[in-house]
Amino acid sequence: MGNVPGKLDEENAIRSGRSYSTSDTTRRNSASVVTGRAQRASSLVGTILNGRTRSDSLMHGHSSNPYKRKSTKEKERLKEKHAKELVVKFDECVDGGFLAPFGCFGLDKLDYDARVVKGLIVDRKLAPFYLPLDDFDPEWTRKEVVKVVDALPLHAPFEEDTDEYDGVATGSLADDDFDSLIDKTLSRREQRKHRLKIFNARLYKKRIAWQEKENERYLDKKLETRSGGSRAAGLLMSDDLKVALYTHGTECPICFLYFPEPMNKSRCCLQPICSQCFVQIKRAPPHFPHDEEDTDVQDEEKDPNLLVSEPASCPYCATPDFGVTYDAPEERRVGVLAPLPGTFVLSVPSRSELFKDTNSIGRRGSVPADDPTVVKSDTIRPDWQIELNKERMRLARRSANATAIHVSNQLVDPSHQNVSTHTSTSVPRSEFTPTSLSPRDLEQQMIDHAIRLSLAEQKDSKRSRNSNHR
Amino acid sequence: MASLPKRIIKRLVSDPVPGITAEPHEDNLRYFQVTIEGPQQSPYENGVFHLELFLPDDYPMEAPKVRFLTKIYHPNIDRLGRICLDVLKTNWSPALQIRTVLLSIQALLASPNPNDPLANDVAEDWIQNEDGAIATAREWTKRYAKPN
Repeated sequence: MGNVPGKLDEENAIRSGRSYSTSDTTRRNSASVVTGRAQRASSLVGTILNGRTRSDSLMHGHSSNPYKRKSTKEKERLKEKHAKELVVKFDECVDGGFLAPFGCFGLDKLDYDARVVKGLIVDRKLAPFYLPLDDFDPEWTRKEVVKVVDALPLHAPFEEDTDEYDGVATGSLADDDFDSLIDKTLSRREQRKHRLKIFNARLYKKRIAWQEKENERYLDKKLETRSGGSRAAGLLMSDDLKVALYTHGTECPICFLYFPEPMNKSRCCLQPICSQCFVQIKRAPPHFPHDEEDTDVQDEEKDPNLLVSEPASCPYCATPDFGVTYDAPEERRVGVLAPLPGTFVLSVPSRSELFKDTNSIGRRGSVPADDPTVVKSDTIRPDWQIELNKERMRLARRSANATAIHVSNQLVDPSHQNVSTHTSTSVPRSEFTPTSLSPRDLEQQMIDHAIRLSLAEQKDSKRSRNSNHR
Repeated sequence: MASLPKRIIKRLVSDPVPGITAEPHEDNLRYFQVTIEGPQQSPYENGVFHLELFLPDDYPMEAPKVRFLTKIYHPNIDRLGRICLDVLKTNWSPALQIRTVLLSIQALLASPNPNDPLANDVAEDWIQNEDGAIATAREWTKRYAKPN
C-alpha cells in the first residue's frame, strides 16, 4: 500500500502524455483552453496525490503497530479523517462519476479503506461512484436527460433529525474540545460511553456540514458557468457527457438504482454491481464455525483460535472470495488524470452505440480471484486479518478473566475441592490440560495465571491513563 | 435511504407472486404485512398464513426479518413464529429480494425438514410418526389459518 502514490505518479506522467497525443478533443480546442485544462488537471491530481501521501505518512507515523491500543483521541481522529474522505466533491470527477458514494450510509457500513478505493477509481480499476437515478425513461429526449442530471445533488440529502442522535448535546462544532459536554457525575465507564455518543452525533453533523460546503461550491460553479464565466467552464460535465453517461445505463440488481454503463462485473458470474453496493459487501464479522453454533457452550468457553472470518461470497452465485473487474470506457475518459469533464464532446452519434457493442462482445469468462484486474472485497478492507486477530485476543482476554473470577470464587469457598471437571470447559484448551493435573496443581496454576493477568491489566490501565493525560 | 423502500414496493407490485401478498404498513414503509397460501398437496393446503416482514436499516446487506403470526405446526417454525431458513441467516445475499425470500418460505411449507429442526418437539413427532404429524399440521391449518 505504501507504494501506491509512487506508482500513481508514474502512471500520471504516462497518462497525461497519452491524453495529449491521442485525445481528439484536445486537438479541437484552442491552445489557451488546453493549457488551462492541463494546469487545472495537474493541480487536481496533485491535491489528491498529496492528500494520499500525507495521509499515508500520518497513518504510518501513528499506527506502525496495528495491535497497539489506540487512545480515544486517536480513534476519534482516525474516524473523523475517514468521514472526511467520504465527502463527494464535484471536482474529484472520474469519467463522469466521483470518488465517494452518493447514498447516506452510516460509517459502519462504509468502513472500507477510502484511500484504497479512491486509488482504484483513479486507476480505472473500479467504477467511479456515479450519481444514481431513481428511474430512467428511455423516451427521454436529450434535453430531458440533461435536465434530470443537472437536478442531481452530489450526495443524497442527510436526514437532519435522526432518532439515534436525538437530544444529544453537541456543542459548537468549531470547538474541538468537547470534554465539558460529558456528564462528570457518571462512572468512568459510562462517561466513556457518553463521550462516544457525543462524538458520533458531532461527527454526523460535521458530515452534513462538510457535504453542504461541497454542495455550495458545486452550485456556485454551476451558476458561474451558466452566467458565462469562462474560467469555470470545463470543470463541470458537458451536456454531451451527461447524455453519453445516462442514455445507456443499467440498473444495479442489488439497490435497483439506475447507473451509467459500464458497471463493475462480478469476477465469477459477470453480473453487474454498482460501486456503492460493492463497497458495502464484506466478510462476516469473526465468529465460530456454524456447525458448533447449536451446542450450549458459551463463546467465552471456546478456543479463541477457532474464530474464523470467511471471505465474502458473490451475492449472485455464492462463489467465495468475491471480486469484481471493470472495463473503463476509454472514449469517456475525463476528470482526474484525464481531460476536463467539460471538454467531452459526443463527436459521432454512433459512438456510444459502438461502445455498447464492444462491451457486449468483449464479455470475457470468469477470472480467478488473484488476477491483477480483480478488485476483491478484501482489497478494499486490507485490515481484515488484523481485525480477526484482535477479536481473538479480545476473546482470549475475556475467557482468562472469566477463569480468574471463577478461581477466586473457589478460593473463597474451601469446600470446593474438586474443580477439574467444572473448570475444564471455561479454559482455553491450548493453555491447560486439566485432566493430567491434580486439582491442587491446577488450582496453583490458575492462581498464577490470574495474578499474571491482573498485573498485565494494571500495566495496561496505567499506560492508558498516562496517554490520556498527554 | 428513505427512497429505498419505495422502489422495493414498486418492484413487489409490478411483479406479484401468485399465492403471496405483501403490503407495506402505512406508518412504516419498512414493515410489511404478508400472507402466504399453503402450497397444494402439503398439509398446509387451503390455509392462508399471516406473517410480518421487517427490512432492517442494513437491508439489503442484511436479511429481512420474517416471522409467522399464524400458528403453524412445522418442524422448522417455532412457537413464536420464528423461521429456520438458511437464506434468512447465513446464506443471505443482497441480491435476494423480498419475493425470493417469500417464495423460499412457501417452499419450506411444501417440504418440511425435520432433520434441521427449530421446533424440537414437532420435529421429533415428524420423524417418529410422520402421518400423525401431518394430520396435526392439517388440523392446525384448518383451525388457525382460515382464509378470510
